[in-house]
Amino acid sequence: MAFEGIRRIVVAGGSLAGYSAVSELLAADFSGEIVWVTGEKEGAYSKPALSKEFLQGKSEHSELFLPEIADPRGNLRILRNVKCRSLEAERRIVHLDDGASIEFDGLILCTGATARMPAITRGMEGVLGLRTLEDALAIKAELARRPRIAILGGGLIGCELAASMRSFGFEITLIEGAPMLLGRTFGAVLGDYVRELHERNGVAVLTGATIEALEARDGRVAAARLSDGQVIETDLVLVGAGSAPATGWLEGSGLALSDGVVCDATLASSHPGIYAAGDIARWHNPYYGAEMRVEHWTSASAQGRAAARNLARSGVGSSEAPVAFADVPYFWSDQYGLKLQMVGRHDGHDHIEMQETADRAHPLLTFHRGGQLVAAAGVNASRAVMRYRKQIEDEVKARDRVAEPC
Amino acid sequence: MKIIVNRQTCDGNGVCMGIAPEVFDVDDDLYLHVAEPIPEDGEIRARVRQAVTSCPILALKLVEG
Ligand SMILES: Cc1cc2nc3c(=O)[nH]c(=O)nc-3n(C[C@H](O)[C@H](O)[C@H](O)COP(=O)(O)OP(=O)(O)OC[C@H]3O[C@@H](n4cnc5c(N)ncnc54)[C@H](O)[C@@H]3O)c2cc1C
Repeated sequence: MAFEGIRRIVVAGGSLAGYSAVSELLAADFSGEIVWVTGEKEGAYSKPALSKEFLQGKSEHSELFLPEIADPRGNLRILRNVKCRSLEAERRIVHLDDGASIEFDGLILCTGATARMPAITRGMEGVLGLRTLEDALAIKAELARRPRIAILGGGLIGCELAASMRSFGFEITLIEGAPMLLGRTFGAVLGDYVRELHERNGVAVLTGATIEALEARDGRVAAARLSDGQVIETDLVLVGAGSAPATGWLEGSGLALSDGVVCDATLASSHPGIYAAGDIARWHNPYYGAEMRVEHWTSASAQGRAAARNLARSGVGSSEAPVAFADVPYFWSDQYGLKLQMVGRHDGHDHIEMQETADRAHPLLTFHRGGQLVAAAGVNASRAVMRYRKQIEDEVKARDRVAEPC
Repeated sequence: MKIIVNRQTCDGNGVCMGIAPEVFDVDDDLYLHVAEPIPEDGEIRARVRQAVTSCPILALKLVEG
């Protein structure tokens, strides 16, 4: 039997990682009490859809939500509109911001990440980030005025915002400090491709450009002044400046933190019975022999499930040992009706190969390091990218084995 | 074991295909094909279950039996 000695489990965070963890606990027949502190007004929803279908008006509010979790035993207590305020890891108590405290035997940390808002973007009306449904609704509320929009940041969110806003014909300036769009994410070849894609669709793309200050008129943003002196008149500034793990409430908890919750290969934190999953987890990925934090949708669900299973196996006297969570990262992005995808990690690659595609209309490329396939990326090429996924997994596993001292 | 695909939401991400290529195939129009009947092989079935729970937009449903 699993879950030995575990009577109450708290799951903190009401998005995909938390949703997956709770689903898995119930699927594993946990018969104790689950307290799910969601920090959400409503149920868990699709974040990827926010910057895509939802902002484009192609999907309704109601279509965003993940299916309700079936709770046949009635042992799941869902707390909405309340967040965890602090944790005492040693004493196994979480304190909520409504004053309540909950003792637990197991805890799964899934509080994700929050949008980074650089200092120059704070405290001015008409400047919005995008991380939550509330953020997306705030952006939608601005669109009736048909604003000219300056987008700060040419990463995934910035590029998707640009594409979605262009679908309404708005005037868009996309401003990125690095020399290319999505360079860190996709590498130079696709970075150039994405830039051309945006320019072809009428977005003014400024790379190597930093916003020095935002200028306000009557308390509302009116222009962005760049460090080269250029001034861009704008009615709305959207910020896609990355995200930071939501570990603020864990400061002083006793848990090891370092740009996320530090976990071993089994997603276990520095304290027994406490696991982490999703955007908040910095774990040792055995495939790469390195610690990493992956901020992608499919990792959040896989990690949520793995953390729940390992918590089940962690009880005193358990017959099963926790299992390492090994993952080849995967993400996608939809822009202008095209699907961009990447599997693996391209950092440190020394060679890129352009692959043939059936229609030759879109790029498909593979990244290699020391003669090994480490990543693949493509546009509208799910089938090919997914075939590489298996190969990449096999190769990183093989490399791992070679690297292991025997 | 049967797979139900929500055609309204399936957008051909192909995550399922990456996990269980014996059963899932996404064509060049990003349309998902499911090869049924699903093989009896326990290892393949375990991966099919994993594929269903890994769909980024939860467009797959599994009916056991
Ligand atoms: C606009 C947008 C588009 C994206 N598009 C893609 C994409 O196309 N492809 C892709 O792979 N990834 C995409 N991502 C990334 C993906 O959404 C994340 O990796 C995923 O949401 C991580 O899930 P999570 O559960 O770890 O954390 P989050 O989704 O960040 O959720 C954190 C949860 O914790 C709760 N919470 C926070 N603090 C507390 C607290 N103190 N107590 C209790 N609860 C708390 C919040 O209410 C929330 O429910 C996108 C992200 C965004 C924002």
